[in-house]
Amino acid sequence: MERQSYIDSVDPEIAERLVGRREAIRRGASVSGTVAAGLAMGSVPVALVALARDVFAQAPTDVRAVIEFAYTLENLEFYFYDSALNASAFAGARTQIEDDDQNGARILRALQTLRAHEEAHVAFLREAMGFLGGTPATYTAASFDFTGGNGAGSGPFAAAATQAAVLMAAAQAFEDTGVRAYKGQVASLTSNKGVLTAALQIHSVEARHAAQIRRLRQQMAPSLGVKSWIRNEESGISGLDAAGTAAVAAIYAGEGATVQGSVDVGPLAASFGGSAAAGEAFDEPLSFEQVAAIVDPFIVGGI
Amino acid sequence: MTYHQQTVVVETADQLLQPKTRRSFLRLLATGGTAVLLPGMFAACDDDDGGPAGLGGGTGSTVTLDFSDANDVGGLNYAYALEQLEAAFYAQVVARSGAVLTADEASIMADIRNHEAIHAAFFRQVLGAGAIGALDMSRTFTSIDFASRTAVLTAARDFEDTGVAAYNGAAQYLKQGANALTAAKIVSVEARHAAVIRDMLDPSATAQASASFAPRAFDDALDVPVIVARVDDYIVQRLEAANKPEPVQIITPPDA
Repeated sequence: MERQSYIDSVDPEIAERLVGRREAIRRGASVSGTVAAGLAMGSVPVALVALARDVFAQAPTDVRAVIEFAYTLENLEFYFYDSALNASAFAGARTQIEDDDQNGARILRALQTLRAHEEAHVAFLREAMGFLGGTPATYTAASFDFTGGNGAGSGPFAAAATQAAVLMAAAQAFEDTGVRAYKGQVASLTSNKGVLTAALQIHSVEARHAAQIRRLRQQMAPSLGVKSWIRNEESGISGLDAAGTAAVAAIYAGEGATVQGSVDVGPLAASFGGSAAAGEAFDEPLSFEQVAAIVDPFIVGGI
Repeated sequence: MTYHQQTVVVETADQLLQPKTRRSFLRLLATGGTAVLLPGMFAACDDDDGGPAGLGGGTGSTVTLDFSDANDVGGLNYAYALEQLEAAFYAQVVARSGAVLTADEASIMADIRNHEAIHAAFFRQVLGAGAIGALDMSRTFTSIDFASRTAVLTAARDFEDTGVAAYNGAAQYLKQGANALTAAKIVSVEARHAAVIRDMLDPSATAQASASFAPRAFDDALDVPVIVARVDDYIVQRLEAANKPEPVQIITPPDA
């Protein structure tokens, strides 16, 4: 019986002793007893270790591959925001942001938020991988080429270091890619409900990030016409070289889909914004291979 | 002994602060008369649990969401119910709140109204004969002041955050991978809504503050009963999960 398999993944005695089931339910989420206990004790490492064990102890190898993949993407995002906020190479873009009286403070807060969240995602996934055996790779900023230049440092997004608008365009590209990457793994995670749920809890945060970055870009440059949701395959990103334009096109390919499963949503949307709204209302997944091709130029030595 | 049976109509809690109403109300309590409490009164009284409020919520016929169905009819109807609620709410916003929103904000609300209406229509079509009926929200938005920007955005924020947590929490019950993917396709759009609404509500929220567009590194994943309790005041019918498995240990990792 299915419910046994994941209940067995925690030690029920410990869980029950430390935190009553009623308490967990009262908290609104069905937090694992051991996790809740770790949190209650204020111990971040204990909580992380406990939740990783709870959720990932029985994950099969293909699930490990998904987590490892996500771990790499989260590292890319984390080091990008960390560099944007701290690295001397990005001083030019930072100065532009700080000089933006209208939006600068909000942009900085968004970048700080994203940096912190990606750091938490990295830590979580790293713990999870530890429980699956093997040693997670250790990344540094030098592991990545944020210009998308395959390590040459001169790729299509090179201007992100000196121009706030390009930096934000790159952030949008990363976040929208992240949303699609997690979504692309959902169907393969249905066999492991704990990992599925954890992935979704990250996935929706990436979507919040993407929406806010898009909103800030629109406020920085209202002529962009970029929405916080993806209209057709529009990115509001332009002015890149041919390689960059192709890279962005790959990130948004298929986002305008209006057929969902067996349902043609277009006619249903006739009174509600038509086919453009039908596309906006559903975000689309990307496969592992599609995401790998998109992020490969951003990883020194390739993915 | 004879006395006149009195009736006092109390529409909002504020009326009890007005001497005339208060006197009538107290006199009535002393004499055993009848108090008629209109929806606004319940709204005002019911916010001690932090949840939404309205008259008639959860008091109507029971709508059963059977999670044992191999084709996920229960889970899809759960989503359909929540999307109906959101669609009805934003239809009200678009119809009634234009005066308190900027043109940009009204445009965003119209977009979201479209998305939620499309989601609801989509689930209705997917479910076909298995779809639950149209839920009755006719009396249940009385607790929201649609002429108040803050009230509208606060309600919208709660609906969107609830929607995100609902999809995140219920995907585990979907037996068909295709349905789990559909849920994921929709939940990220709900999360986009949530972020934008939150930013409209407090554009100067500090990083990761509770008012932020993204207050935490991991969004909630809440189980069906928790979500139903949050929304049932808005829906006349009573949503009830049946044959729902125990939830997997849902992670709520610490914030960064």
